[in-house]
Amino acid sequence: MPSLAPHLPQLICPAGSLPALKAAVQSGADAVYLGFKNATNARNFAGLNFTDSQLKSGIEYAQSQGREVLIAINTYPQAGRTAEWQASIDAAADLGANAVILADLGLLEYATRRHPQLRRHLSVQGSATNFEAVNLAYEHFGISRAVLPRVLTLPQIEYVIKNTPVEIEVFGFGSLCVMAEGRCILSSYATGESPNTHGVCSPASHVQWLPKGDTLDTRLNGILIDHFEKDEPAGYPTLCKGRFEVGDASYYAMEEPTSLNALSVLPELIRMGVKAIKVEGRQRSPAYVSEVTKTLRAAIDAASDPRYSVKPAWQQALSKVSEGHQQTLGAYSRPWR
Amino acid sequence: MNIPAPLIKLLAVLPETPPTVVTVALLNLLRKPLWPEEDFAWWEGRQVRMAVSDLNWGITLSYQNGRFVCGDTPADVTLTASLADYCLIARRQEDPDTLFFQRRLSITGDTELGLTLKNLMDATDFSPLFARLPSRIRMKLNV
Repeated sequence: MPSLAPHLPQLICPAGSLPALKAAVQSGADAVYLGFKNATNARNFAGLNFTDSQLKSGIEYAQSQGREVLIAINTYPQAGRTAEWQASIDAAADLGANAVILADLGLLEYATRRHPQLRRHLSVQGSATNFEAVNLAYEHFGISRAVLPRVLTLPQIEYVIKNTPVEIEVFGFGSLCVMAEGRCILSSYATGESPNTHGVCSPASHVQWLPKGDTLDTRLNGILIDHFEKDEPAGYPTLCKGRFEVGDASYYAMEEPTSLNALSVLPELIRMGVKAIKVEGRQRSPAYVSEVTKTLRAAIDAASDPRYSVKPAWQQALSKVSEGHQQTLGAYSRPWR
Repeated sequence: MNIPAPLIKLLAVLPETPPTVVTVALLNLLRKPLWPEEDFAWWEGRQVRMAVSDLNWGITLSYQNGRFVCGDTPADVTLTASLADYCLIARRQEDPDTLFFQRRLSITGDTELGLTLKNLMDATDFSPLFARLPSRIRMKLNV
């Protein structure tokens, strides 16, 4: 069910396909975010995402259940191809999306001018980490919401909320990365393609999984980025989560695969006035969407109770589908300064 | 999900051809209702093998001139999982990425082809299929 109380944040869930969208709605998402089948969104994976007709029936279904559909057009147009990105904004407006999630300033300007009635959210890819940046986007493009990058502590998030009229959305669960969102060019070092312009960190055409007996090597465009021993958990084939030789040792030189899990700080996020909690994972299956949405729904609905505590069953459900050995509060909890 | 060991033993001695032929026939029958918009151009002439690790065999499928056909090895891409894990994926009870993290599902060869197939399965809406079943069977299957 959608949020029972108006002060509760909206639960925003991912969908890479129509069955995933239905799973999100049936499991209690207030809104579903998704993308077109092209490079205009940050999960441009082979076979993933929505054709126009799938999107049309997805929007009809979600809105008939009183939920919203937010369309992510959150990559930066490739040189000379801006028209494709603008056409996606036009399509989102024509299909009746509740909002578009944008990062590029030129596209924000285009959407503001061409479709003033269409709500605009500033994507996490927009990399706005302070209230001045959020307010600048508000003044120029009338954004109604900003998704904060996962680099801020709870007090920092509260400081942004206190100083902006814009609704603030934060991540509640999902795989983490090095979080230079909108600025990461790491994968273009190996593949010539970057998530910012092509919508994918490790294009599948460049990925090779090579089993050798019971072990497994991962290569990205020929570059060895990880090696897994028998039964050792694997991760996504991204450079940032690879293990590399540094000096005499080989280890996660940039980041170990981990998943953010903000269940324990939900009451704090609600008290601060966070307006929406987002779940990562448009590349995941309907089974994931359903499991995570149900868990987050139950937790958010319980979080305004002063006796709230994280149920072991919730942790178990989330831990099962997590990438990496560990779940973390990420930057939310950083006792040091 | 547990599949009885005697059944696994029995299935393990089967040749590959009969299950492959049945799968190809089913896919050709279900293509239109399940994937009305999909042209399968990405599968044309490519060999996709689904290997069942605990049976030591698998089925290889290809797509030619608008129809699914039995494929040849060596395959362009091979997915490998146990029979029980394939069933979990098919019933949407387990997320393929989760099985991949746990090393229970592997994709070797052309990763992009394998990922396209995985995402097609995730995107398949089986409700038009179930809608044709009698309501008593639908209730039993909980669909």
